[in-house]
Amino acid sequence: MYEPVILAQIFWTGVATSAPHVLMTLGFALTLKVTGLWNFAQAGFMAIAFYTMFFALNGLDLPIFVAVLLAIGTTIAASLATEVYGLQVLRERQSGNLMFFIFTLILSQFIMYVITLIFGTEPQTLFKSILSPVQIVGGVAVSDWDLLGVGLMIGGMAALWLFMAFTKEGQFLTAVSDNAKLAELYGISARRSYRVTAVIASLFIVASMYLVGSHGGVVPNSPLELILGAVLGTLLGGIGRVFAAAAASIFLALIQSFSILVLASRWQNLLLYGFLFIAIVVFPRGVRLPKFRFALAGR
Amino acid sequence: MTQVLRTEDLNKRFGGIVVSDNVNITIDRGEILGLIGPNGAGKTSLFNLISGVLRPDSGSIYLNGQAVNASPLYKRARMGIARTWQNMLLFRTMTVIENLLIAPREYAGESILRVTFGLGSVRSAERQARERALGILDRMGLADTADSMVTDLPFGQQKLIGLARTLMNDGPLLLLDEPMAGVEGAAYETMQAVVRQEAASGRAVCVVEHNVSFIRDLCSRAVFMANGRILQDGTVEELIASKALTELYFGV
Amino acid sequence: MEYLATVTILIAIYVILAASYNLVIGYGGLATVAHPIFFAIGAYVTGLLAIHAGLPPIVCVALGAVAAMVASVLLAASSLRVSGDYLLIASLGFQLGLLQLIRNLEITGGPGGLSNIPSTIVGAARTPTFLAITIGLAVVSVLGIRAIVRGPYGRAITAMRDEELAFTALGRNAMSMKIVIFAVGCGVAGMAGGVYAFYFQYVSPEQFEVLQSAQILTMVVLGGMATAYGPVVGAVLLLAIPQAITFLDLPQNVMAPLQGIIFTVLVLLFLFLRPTGIMGDSDNKPRARASEAA
Repeated sequence: MYEPVILAQIFWTGVATSAPHVLMTLGFALTLKVTGLWNFAQAGFMAIAFYTMFFALNGLDLPIFVAVLLAIGTTIAASLATEVYGLQVLRERQSGNLMFFIFTLILSQFIMYVITLIFGTEPQTLFKSILSPVQIVGGVAVSDWDLLGVGLMIGGMAALWLFMAFTKEGQFLTAVSDNAKLAELYGISARRSYRVTAVIASLFIVASMYLVGSHGGVVPNSPLELILGAVLGTLLGGIGRVFAAAAASIFLALIQSFSILVLASRWQNLLLYGFLFIAIVVFPRGVRLPKFRFALAGR
Repeated sequence: MTQVLRTEDLNKRFGGIVVSDNVNITIDRGEILGLIGPNGAGKTSLFNLISGVLRPDSGSIYLNGQAVNASPLYKRARMGIARTWQNMLLFRTMTVIENLLIAPREYAGESILRVTFGLGSVRSAERQARERALGILDRMGLADTADSMVTDLPFGQQKLIGLARTLMNDGPLLLLDEPMAGVEGAAYETMQAVVRQEAASGRAVCVVEHNVSFIRDLCSRAVFMANGRILQDGTVEELIASKALTELYFGV
Repeated sequence: MEYLATVTILIAIYVILAASYNLVIGYGGLATVAHPIFFAIGAYVTGLLAIHAGLPPIVCVALGAVAAMVASVLLAASSLRVSGDYLLIASLGFQLGLLQLIRNLEITGGPGGLSNIPSTIVGAARTPTFLAITIGLAVVSVLGIRAIVRGPYGRAITAMRDEELAFTALGRNAMSMKIVIFAVGCGVAGMAGGVYAFYFQYVSPEQFEVLQSAQILTMVVLGGMATAYGPVVGAVLLLAIPQAITFLDLPQNVMAPLQGIIFTVLVLLFLFLRPTGIMGDSDNKPRARASEAA
């Protein structure tokens, strides 16, 4: 039962299926880090991303490339509109956390209701088939989807890291996340950084939803479940530590994957929440493993 | 015991910044101690350490001989450490009298059990507190502002209200953080008079101020702080006479 | 007639939920979202006790409320230690985690729910009795909460919301006050759950999801946070209007999202144009500004 090949398969599949969650977590955790907000509106943006692609591919018969670009466009538009006309207004009013939460949650709900009205509640997939070509590598089944997922995940993390460490905009993001008022004194516009963050998060969202939508059925309410995975990863990684959050997501996916060996599948989800409880009560500031601290331009 | 407050080797640093460096001060009953020094000297931090907003890295604090280190902020207030804030921190959505009614050290109306089952005791406690509050406002000549929203009052009056609220705590120690900042004229006179009265009634008072004439008029003793350290402790005259301190303070 | 009575009972129960939630978020300023889970704890504990322990109904409901209260104290005590904001996420996680547990345990009936909760009253008197009980409890809850927040306790809560640091420095234990408010709010929700379980005799996990969190939130925001009667207005609106819309005779798959759209749009409009809600003062008078301080 515990042959190396099987373990390797479980490992690979675990990592591959974690890819969409990692991408989502990156966007979510980055937003939390820079803006200080648990942005539940991203659930709504996820729905917009998926259904734009779905409509483009199946309703308008556009090629994949165009569909993805369209999704990037609509998601960024929604994200920026929310930031500029919603979040910034609340910030100027010095509204409390509760207001932000109400706004982002209800906005997501609004988006999901509209989408339900237009698209119905049937599960939809981006493509007719959710199966992708599989190769056997060293006894392990590796599908094209797996490769795409892992590629996007690694590419996304690398791109984000490079961006944060080496570009001016990226460094501004770090400055604003540390101390927005201080950053303003140095001429860095916090508002601009928030918008940049919104755009980056949108890209991660589209990538994530592409993976999700090509691998299984999506209903208008799916994003709410998905975003909870992002919340969990962010909590375990520690608020403000984006790459630790990503690592936490991979870790959680692997735990779920390997737990197949010992648990019935119906307990899988429960495992996740068990972790959440533990995280909240024992590690409210995130798990700190000194060796595994990923440098994020200094944090 | 005449010594109300004693700190022993208080140390506190934030990263590379030392805000308290082996600080030792004492304040006796009826004494008004002035705490002066340039900005960033650690004066407010010292207040924060004494009142319990900050925990020291090392050192002890004694109130009437009792160690208060282990007590959190709210307990120290109940033990009798009352303080004002540079930003006043008045309760913005409430009236003057309401602000004061929050402040006595023990208050029956704030236990949900008492409210449900002991209505009588709540009512009488409320009455007593109200009398006390009006009395304090009267002393300051502000009795007619009792039902105004604090945010409707001019700055000087707001500062007085901040002091009034603090005075509802009748404990042994009073810490005033720049009470005079931005205050002039009648409010200034009132504040001086009130602080004197408090000391005369036996409280130990410590005042952080930049207004040197206020310090000279009120304080018998003063302490000069810079960079978290106490540089000199003596009478106000001695401190003012010291050239070294004047240089430090005024940069001349 | 029966139908109308059932709707009224449901409205009354939701008034209790909205009022107790308002106590927590509107007056207490505690950002949480998990109110439905305490409703659920009350319902499930009551239901299970009724089925397996055969205790008298009032005892079952009381124990349900106590269970909800204990759970809320545990949640608040552990998450408020970190920060006030943390409670929001912690409560969300708690709600979803507990629901997941309920879905997977056999004793709670799993995803199919807990049914066959024993009847308490049979026959023609049942509905009117429940009507009286729920309306009575709703009135008591609303007036009780109103009484609490008008006196010195309410003043203390407002001060805590305005400037917690100064409040604490005046000798008030803000942490324990928050826990007490949270416990009372959640305990009342638990009680509502118990009554709910006895009337409908069936509870299932999907009655207590994030959707319901959003519903109760909507009721409180629309009705007016930190107002005594706002929750009543909110609950009535949110439950009565969809009933009215059913008369438009639209297909179900249009109706459900349409109702959702109407309410989310209302909340968003109120949030930006009139944050104090229907019952709050429109000129943003200080009392009503409690909603911004939240």
